[in-house]
Amino acid sequence: MHVSRKYPAWVNLANIVALLGIALFATVAGAADDKPFAEQKVVLQISDNDPSKQTLILNVANNMIKHYGSDKVDVEIVAFGPGVRLMFDDNVNKGRISGLDSNGVRFYACGNTLKKMTKALGKQPVLNPHAKHGGGGIVRILELTSQGYTLVKP
Amino acid sequence: MRNKLFKRATLAVVCAGGMLAGATAQAADWLSLQGTEPAGSAARAKVWGFIQPQYTDIGDTKLKAGPWGGQDAIFNVVRPDNDTDSTFHLRRARLGVRGTGFPLDSNVNYFLLAEFGNNGITKSDGGSVKLTDASVTLNHLKKYTRLRVGQFKTPGSEDGLQAIHVHNYNNFSLAADQLLLERFRDWDGEANCIVPDPAAPLPTAQDAAWYLDCSGGNGVNGSVGAYRDIGLQLFNTFRIADGPGVNPWEVSYAFMVGNGNGIDRGDNDDNREYYYYLSAGQVFGGKGPRRQDWKVYGWYEDGKRSILDTSNIAGTGGLPPVDDTPDFANFSEKDFDRDRWGIGGTYRKGKYRLYGEYIWADGMIANGTDGGAVPGSVSNPVAAATSGVVSTANTLTDNEAEGWYLDAGYLVLPNLELDVRYDKLERGTEGNRALQRDFERWTIGAQYFFNKKSRFTLNYEFRDIDAPDGNATAKEVVDSVDDVLTAQLLIIF
Repeated sequence: MHVSRKYPAWVNLANIVALLGIALFATVAGAADDKPFAEQKVVLQISDNDPSKQTLILNVANNMIKHYGSDKVDVEIVAFGPGVRLMFDDNVNKGRISGLDSNGVRFYACGNTLKKMTKALGKQPVLNPHAKHGGGGIVRILELTSQGYTLVKP
Repeated sequence: MRNKLFKRATLAVVCAGGMLAGATAQAADWLSLQGTEPAGSAARAKVWGFIQPQYTDIGDTKLKAGPWGGQDAIFNVVRPDNDTDSTFHLRRARLGVRGTGFPLDSNVNYFLLAEFGNNGITKSDGGSVKLTDASVTLNHLKKYTRLRVGQFKTPGSEDGLQAIHVHNYNNFSLAADQLLLERFRDWDGEANCIVPDPAAPLPTAQDAAWYLDCSGGNGVNGSVGAYRDIGLQLFNTFRIADGPGVNPWEVSYAFMVGNGNGIDRGDNDDNREYYYYLSAGQVFGGKGPRRQDWKVYGWYEDGKRSILDTSNIAGTGGLPPVDDTPDFANFSEKDFDRDRWGIGGTYRKGKYRLYGEYIWADGMIANGTDGGAVPGSVSNPVAAATSGVVSTANTLTDNEAEGWYLDAGYLVLPNLELDVRYDKLERGTEGNRALQRDFERWTIGAQYFFNKKSRFTLNYEFRDIDAPDGNATAKEVVDSVDDVLTAQLLIIF
C-alpha cells in the first residue's frame, strides 16, 4: 500500500486549527463581518406602538443607506415590545423592508416579545422572512453596542 | 343584458383574484381606504374627523310663473333648511374613530363616523347627530377577498364613493346628486294636496290625516341615503406586476348586498339592494387620496323600492285645484324597480387631473316639486274662493334618466388647483315627455391648500334648466334658476 504524504502532519494539524479558529471568530464577531468596509455601524430601536414610528425608522435607515452607500454603513433594526409589529409578515411596510434588506439592512425581533404575543394571539405571529429573532431585543442591542454600534431611537 | 354581463364580469374577477399574485394593495382605492386599516401598523383607535363651514349664495330670483309664481324656487334656496338663498352654514362636521381594536391582529378592522353638521343627513328629524358609518371588516382571506359588514358607502359612482373631504367641488355632480343621493319619501307625490279650508290655510285638528301626509309637502322621511347602505360587502384590490421601475396595475372588485333603505334605520320591505363594482388602472406614484394614477371603472346597482302609489287618483277625483284632497287610506304601497349603473374614469398625474363618468337610471327618479316651489308651500289662490295646492316633492316611479360629467383640474402652484367641470342631466326621458327636465351646468373652481390637511374651495356654478317638451309655464318656471356661489373651508384632523 502506498500513502502519499504531501505535507508534514504538523502542517495538516495547523490548517485544521486555523479553520476552527476562523469559524469561531466568525461566530463571535457576528454582525460586523456582514459589512467589513462599513465606516458607520448603527442599531435602530423601535419599541413604540405608534404607526408613524414605523415609517420614521424605515426612513432613517433608507436615508443612511443613501447618504453613506450600502457598503459603508451597517444598520440593524431591533424591535421589541409593540415595535415588533413592524416585523410581522403582513405589515404594510413589507415592500420597504424587502428593499432595505436587499441593501444589507438587518431586522431583528425580540424573542421575549414574540412569546408574549403568541400567548395573547393564541398562535405565533408570522414574521417577515427577512426578520430574525432569538433572545431579548435589549440583549441584542447591548450585544451590538458592545461591538461598537451606535444606538439610535428615532 | 347589461345586468348579466356586469354580474359575470364581477364574478370572473372574484375567481381570478385567487390566481393573481397574492399582493393585496393598501393603496389609494376608495374601497380599501375607507374599509381597511394598514396591516401591522394601524392604531387600536385613531380619532379623526373634519369640519366644513361654508357660505352659499344663490340668486334671489323667485318663480317667474306657475301656481307658485313669485314664491321661492326650490332650486334657489339653500338645502336642507330651504329658508333662504344665502347663508353661512355648517355643511359637514364629522367625528370618527377607526382602527384594529386588537393591534396584534390586523385581520379585524373597524370604522365609525358620525355627522354633526346641518345637512340632509341630520336635518330629517329636526336636526340631530347621525351615524354615517359603522362597520367591521374581516381580512382573514385577504389573499382573495375581504368582508365588510355594517353601514358604509356603497361601491359605485366615484362622485359618491370618494371621501367627501377630498372632493374637488363643494357640490356633487348633477347626476350623482339627483339620481344616486337618494331622498326617501312616503308617497310618489302624484296626488295633489289641497288645503282643506281656504279660510284657514293651516289645517285644523279634524284634518289630522291630511296634515300627516300633506303639510310637509311629502318631504324626506329620514336621512338622505348619503351614498350608503346597511349590508354586507365582499371586496378586494389586487396589485399586479409590481416592481422597481414599473407602474403597477391595480384591479378592484366589490359585491354588496344591502337593505336599500338608507342609513340609520332598518329595512322596510323584503327587497334587497345589490351592488356590483369593477375597476382597473395603473399607479404612477404617491399614496393616499391624491396619489397619481389612472383608473377606469364600472358599476351596477339593482334594487326595488316600496312607496305609496298615488298615481291612481280616480278614487279621489284628484285634479287641481278644486277636487277633494287625496284619500291616502285608499292608495296602496307598491314595489318599483330602482336600477342605476355607470362607467367612468379618473386620471391624475403631475399637475393634471381629469375625471369623467356617465350614469344611467331606471325607476324611482326624483322629479322635483310641484311648480318648482319649496315643498309644503301653498300655491297662490286662483280665485278668492279657490283653495290652494300644497307643493309636494315628486318621484317618477317608472321612468328613466341619464347624466354625465367631465371634470378637469390643473395645479397652477403646488398649493393651488384650478378646476372646471361640465355636467348634464336629462331627467324623465320616458313616457310623458312634458315631464322631462334637462339640467346643464358649468362649474369653475379653485382649491387653495394651506397644508395637506386644510384647504379653501371656491366654486361658481353657471346653471341652466330646460323643459324641452314642457308648456310655456313650465319653461318659464325653470328659467328662474340662478347661479350659485359657494365658499368652503375644510380642516381634517
